[in-house]
Amino acid sequence: MRTTILLILLGCMNSVYAQQQLAPDQNPNYLVSQQKYMQVKDSLLFTMNTTEQSTYKAYDWYEVKMERRQNRINTRQQVRINRSLRPIINNGWNDGWNNNWNNNGWNNNGWNNGWNRNRWNNSRFFPGTIGYRTGNWWFWF
Amino acid sequence: MKKIFYVFATFVLVASISSCANRKVTRIDPSETPDISGSWNNTDSRLTAEELTKQILSEKWLGRHVNEKGKKPVVIVGLVTNKSHEHIEAETFMNDLERSFITSDKVSLVQSGKKREQMRAEKADMQTNASASTMKKFGLEKGADYILQGSINSIVDAYKRKKTVTYQINLELTNIETNEVIWIGDKKIAKYVKN
Repeated sequence: MRTTILLILLGCMNSVYAQQQLAPDQNPNYLVSQQKYMQVKDSLLFTMNTTEQSTYKAYDWYEVKMERRQNRINTRQQVRINRSLRPIINNGWNDGWNNNWNNNGWNNNGWNNGWNRNRWNNSRFFPGTIGYRTGNWWFWF
Repeated sequence: MKKIFYVFATFVLVASISSCANRKVTRIDPSETPDISGSWNNTDSRLTAEELTKQILSEKWLGRHVNEKGKKPVVIVGLVTNKSHEHIEAETFMNDLERSFITSDKVSLVQSGKKREQMRAEKADMQTNASASTMKKFGLEKGADYILQGSINSIVDAYKRKKTVTYQINLELTNIETNEVIWIGDKKIAKYVKN
């Protein structure tokens, strides 16, 4: 019984000693590095056998010119879309013109009657979409 | 008169329908891919694979390893970093390189990355589901001697409608145990693009 226990103990000590034995020229502190990388190996090995894309954008005069052109086209298209979606507002032109002409003394000279009665306060002729760039702006005089 | 009209109308109809089908597909030899946009293409990948395969299998490191260890070197493929200005997938030429290892029978290759994880997952599944005689054990994988890593770089010089693009593809073979770089291969590709 005693011999058996002694033999078992000897076997255990032998295996522990074998693990601690270093390879020729091996750094005795290898366990520090081993333990560190055992904890992070999965995250580091995740990109094995793959291509990591760390690309940059190179300046190409011709490509920049084409991009600028395309941006201009897209912007103009978006302006046109926004313009078509804008609701018709009747108080923009009329309020401004009416207030100015009425309150600044023009009324006394007859400008108010002439202007307001005839065209400038008539929303039928001047909906909110009329403007310089829409092409339907014209001078009364 | 009516007949002439009908014939003419049919002709116009057929012509208009056929003109809608402008797309034409022609099969070409993969070894003769033409350069269309000036970007990285199949020809570049093929040239890179051919050059690097020739370099890696003819250099001194192979003979030195066989003399020292008495067996074929075992290589594992690591990370390739693309630092160029385009999206380039290195797998297009790395696979050719790996295939050359196997077909030449001079270098042993071990699996890496997600494919290796999948293989281990299958092995784990076998522990509970496969028969005892066909079950594969853990702890018997072949360890690699060298790791193959690389990088892709590019230099772009552009002025008005002219551009030159230079690619440099580098691959390195490193001893996993000693951290010694035993082989470096490179392939340079230069293009002149005029718009």
